[in-house]
Amino acid sequence: MSVTENTRQGESDRNRVVGRRIPKLDAAEKVTGSTVYIDDMRIAGVLTAAIKRSPHAHARIVSIDTTEAEALPGVHAVIHAGNADQRPFGYGNDNEPLKRSKVRCIGDEVAAVAAVDDEVAKLAIELIDVTYDLLPEVDDPFAAMSADAPTIHDELDIDGNIAMRWDFETGDLAAAEARSAVIVEGRYSSPQAAPAPIETHAVIADFDPTGHLRVISPVHMVFMYRKALADCLGLDWQRITVQQPPVGGSFGGKIDIDTHDFITVMLARAAQRPVKLVMTREEEFVGSRTRQPIHFKLRTGADADGMITFRDAEVVSDNGAYNAWGSHAMLVAMNTVTSLYKIPASRMSCAVVYTNKNYGGSVRGFGNPQATFAVEQQTEELADALGIDPMQFRLQNANKANETTTQGLKITTCGLSDCIEAVRDKSGWNRRRGKQRGRFRGMGAATYIHVGGGARIYGSDGCGAMIKIDDSGQVALISGSSELGQGSETVLAMIVAEELGVGVDVVSVTHNDTDVKPWDVGVHASRTTFVAGNAARLAARGARTKLLAAAAEVLDVPVTKLDLRDGMIIHDGDRDTAMPYTKAIRRSLLREHSSIVMSTAFYDPPTEKQDEGYIGNISATYGFGAHVAEVEVDPETGMIQLINLWAAHDVGRAINPMSCEGQIEGGAVMGIGLALSEELPVTDGRFLAPNLHDYGMPTAVDAPRIDVTLVETIDPLGPYGAKGIGEGGIICPPAAIANAVADAIGIRPRQYPMRPWKVVDWIKREERSTVIDRRGAASS
Amino acid sequence: MNTAAAPRTTGTPRLHRPADLGEAVRFLADNPGAVPVAGGTDLLIDRRLGRITTDCMVDISHLDISGIERDGDHLRIGATTTIRTIETSTELAVSAPALLEAARVLGSIQIRNMATLGGNLCHATPSAEMPPPLLVFDAEATIVSSSGWRTIELAQLFTGPGETSLQPGELLTGVTAHVGDGIGSCYIRQTVRWAMDLAGVGVAASVRIEPETNGIVSSVRVALAAVNPVPTVVEGLDSIVVGKTLDADVLDEAAALARRSASPISDARGTAQYRRHVVGVLTARALRVCTARAANTWPPNRAVPPNGFDPELLVDSGVTR
Repeated sequence: MSVTENTRQGESDRNRVVGRRIPKLDAAEKVTGSTVYIDDMRIAGVLTAAIKRSPHAHARIVSIDTTEAEALPGVHAVIHAGNADQRPFGYGNDNEPLKRSKVRCIGDEVAAVAAVDDEVAKLAIELIDVTYDLLPEVDDPFAAMSADAPTIHDELDIDGNIAMRWDFETGDLAAAEARSAVIVEGRYSSPQAAPAPIETHAVIADFDPTGHLRVISPVHMVFMYRKALADCLGLDWQRITVQQPPVGGSFGGKIDIDTHDFITVMLARAAQRPVKLVMTREEEFVGSRTRQPIHFKLRTGADADGMITFRDAEVVSDNGAYNAWGSHAMLVAMNTVTSLYKIPASRMSCAVVYTNKNYGGSVRGFGNPQATFAVEQQTEELADALGIDPMQFRLQNANKANETTTQGLKITTCGLSDCIEAVRDKSGWNRRRGKQRGRFRGMGAATYIHVGGGARIYGSDGCGAMIKIDDSGQVALISGSSELGQGSETVLAMIVAEELGVGVDVVSVTHNDTDVKPWDVGVHASRTTFVAGNAARLAARGARTKLLAAAAEVLDVPVTKLDLRDGMIIHDGDRDTAMPYTKAIRRSLLREHSSIVMSTAFYDPPTEKQDEGYIGNISATYGFGAHVAEVEVDPETGMIQLINLWAAHDVGRAINPMSCEGQIEGGAVMGIGLALSEELPVTDGRFLAPNLHDYGMPTAVDAPRIDVTLVETIDPLGPYGAKGIGEGGIICPPAAIANAVADAIGIRPRQYPMRPWKVVDWIKREERSTVIDRRGAASS
Repeated sequence: MNTAAAPRTTGTPRLHRPADLGEAVRFLADNPGAVPVAGGTDLLIDRRLGRITTDCMVDISHLDISGIERDGDHLRIGATTTIRTIETSTELAVSAPALLEAARVLGSIQIRNMATLGGNLCHATPSAEMPPPLLVFDAEATIVSSSGWRTIELAQLFTGPGETSLQPGELLTGVTAHVGDGIGSCYIRQTVRWAMDLAGVGVAASVRIEPETNGIVSSVRVALAAVNPVPTVVEGLDSIVVGKTLDADVLDEAAALARRSASPISDARGTAQYRRHVVGVLTARALRVCTARAANTWPPNRAVPPNGFDPELLVDSGVTR
């Protein structure tokens, strides 16, 4: 029996809450429509904000005339770079909330107004007259790198339009290539896509009479948001409170501060009134952050036994007009290039390039769907070239527990092989892959590696938690984390209930006010269950100790003889004399020399920041998974129908299987959208389709039934063995569906979304794998 | 800062609810800027986007110009008949499945519950679903105004993207399609996703097979959506198809003619070259389905896939090559 199984058996008897299928705690209010989002909030005296955006992709601002807007009755403030107190922000300080001298993409903010209502605000925006001097624009990253390209950031001391480079190399690539029997090379590209939450971005800013700022924002890296606000606007960050209302979807798009947050605060400062901004759907696409297009030129080699020898990636990230978060998606893409399967030698040379387009932010998966699209297509191309079944090829190269990858990722537990076998067997892969081409049907697979135990990109990767138990026995968890709809509230309540030995119904979770909650990095990198979960578990453990101590005192028995289960304090195993814990709490409280149970904890995972060569164990554990997609391709119209999707994920431990399945299914549907339909088509920097109708998010009709398998590996560091699962579902579908298309019609997709006319074009061009087979050469 | 009262830039439009058709027509005559509204599924979006700026709408949703009626070979459908009613009509399932198939893929069920046939026709979107299946049944449009009734060929209603030949004060009250025994019809389309999408290319067709002739075509119609500024009937098909059986060569010729009848644009829903290609593909498929239906050889309970691609039924027959 393996260690894993021992642990599970040992704990299974005790778990009363963990492992149960519990609907999300906020489900009832969501389905009844009673949730109050920012747009629903009514605040006395609030003004409406609107932003004047650039219609040009690249232009010098000659003048801004706000005279008429200021004279319009009902307008309370008009701001622009000339009258606003602001400083540069963003990575490399390459951005400013209101543009002073240049606009670098359509949607760039040049002025803003606060007015009594929406209509007046919109009219005032129209009355602002901006004179531009148009500049040559560049919307293609390869063109942007050429010597004669217009310089987008002439104020920065950088090499042309190359904003950043991420270069990694390990192992002896030349030797690895020399011993390769087969090498596959190809180019793989992804489009500009959007997180597209149903709730558009919104923010309320309100200064009290003493100058203390309250911001209501759906942001999920809330403490960094507060710091960024203070730094950019010259505010005292000790006098800023950030409150987080329920969020109507983020998917990464609301992770951090954005231009409109600064602008709303500046408007509130100028108008001396509370100000609310709610973006329109069109603004959401044009004026908030996207998933950046990434272009991969990838080579992968394998020896005659089917063991991968090397990966070599040249990557160009088209991150748009400013750096923002998207510039760092390369960190995650790099993990996949260096560490998905055992890769002895690898190189990734990456340029993040400025273009005159809406710029890349953080979107679920953060570079990994793009990287996996390249890497996992090449896995099947390589296996096919060698004549090895792709699943067998994956299994023999798969990562294993207790191994460290060449990039320094320490894999503690690893369910990759289990996931591969699960989707292989459930999908009937061995019977069906490669055997349905006559019916234009095909099967393809993809696997992933993704951080599952936080991601140390700041000094701390920690999260605080506090627990108090009041006289009713209600257990309040005050967590540093944030709820974005991902279900963290429910999972954290379950962890606390399990650890304390009480029902989940007596646990409340508070996490929406920086005045109240302890510090946390914020929600990103699938880290909340792991990091905030461990913090909550530690706090609950402390509370349990205190509660039992209080009970021991009132019962006058040794604490070592007491247990707390199902809300009952049990002495010496005798259930007949058990006392409700609420009674112990009250007897400890309602007396002289009273006491009450409170407990705090801070958890920072045992990880390291990567060094200058990007080596280091960035996460405390890693999540793995495998998908199989089955498609039918209409070879004449190029329309692809996804028929089936099987998904197996190493979740460590399913704290709440229903939540895990929901995250995986939701992520997979987003991945299906990326694969088949979602795109912000741009011509000359202009979005052709800034609306949900044209953008192409999948409907229920486009999403097949998704067969989810949860693989439990019981991570030694995870709370009850859990790993993060928030992003895993989105990573594989583009690669798996591309592989399925290749199986169905013998054509190799080179980019997603695989919209119908592209498929027809690939068929016409007979797009196939490029294989260098050196076996003949080696033997002769 | 200006503290004077804020101006009202736009107001909520006035909604007039006439008691009957006569009052509606008189109101439209007296208020030339008034816009008739039934389901509002296009109009309300147009208003939000500033495409229409009227301050007066006339609610026609309750007027007695709704319903589906078969009278011999005449099939009358009222203008305010909802798309959902068309989609679920047992009469249309028998006499004009093309109409039902077009209705089935329009928007979502929620939209189809509100949207009306007249609205879909009068909005005159080049990619609209309902015009092609009506055009293949030689439909006529009935129009009323304060000066009386007139009937035009439906094709004459469409004059450009979003433009119709309706004059101020005129109201479309319904259409009449010409159906009959021995006619098979269908509507198929190409889209990016499988629901809630506009057609990149839409093709409706109808075929009449002469009885006892072993598949000789006596009449044929093909109409296209989304590939011209207006919904288009493919002209000149008769000389290619009528009097013949629809074999592979005839289908090729018909598809080529349909391609030549299309002048598509490139946009977010596809390139012009691709759309022209798909016109040919879908035309051949639609004619194949129509022929099978006319000859009663199409399996009765087998739905035609939205794009007409059915590997089991079509690949072997040589349509997909």
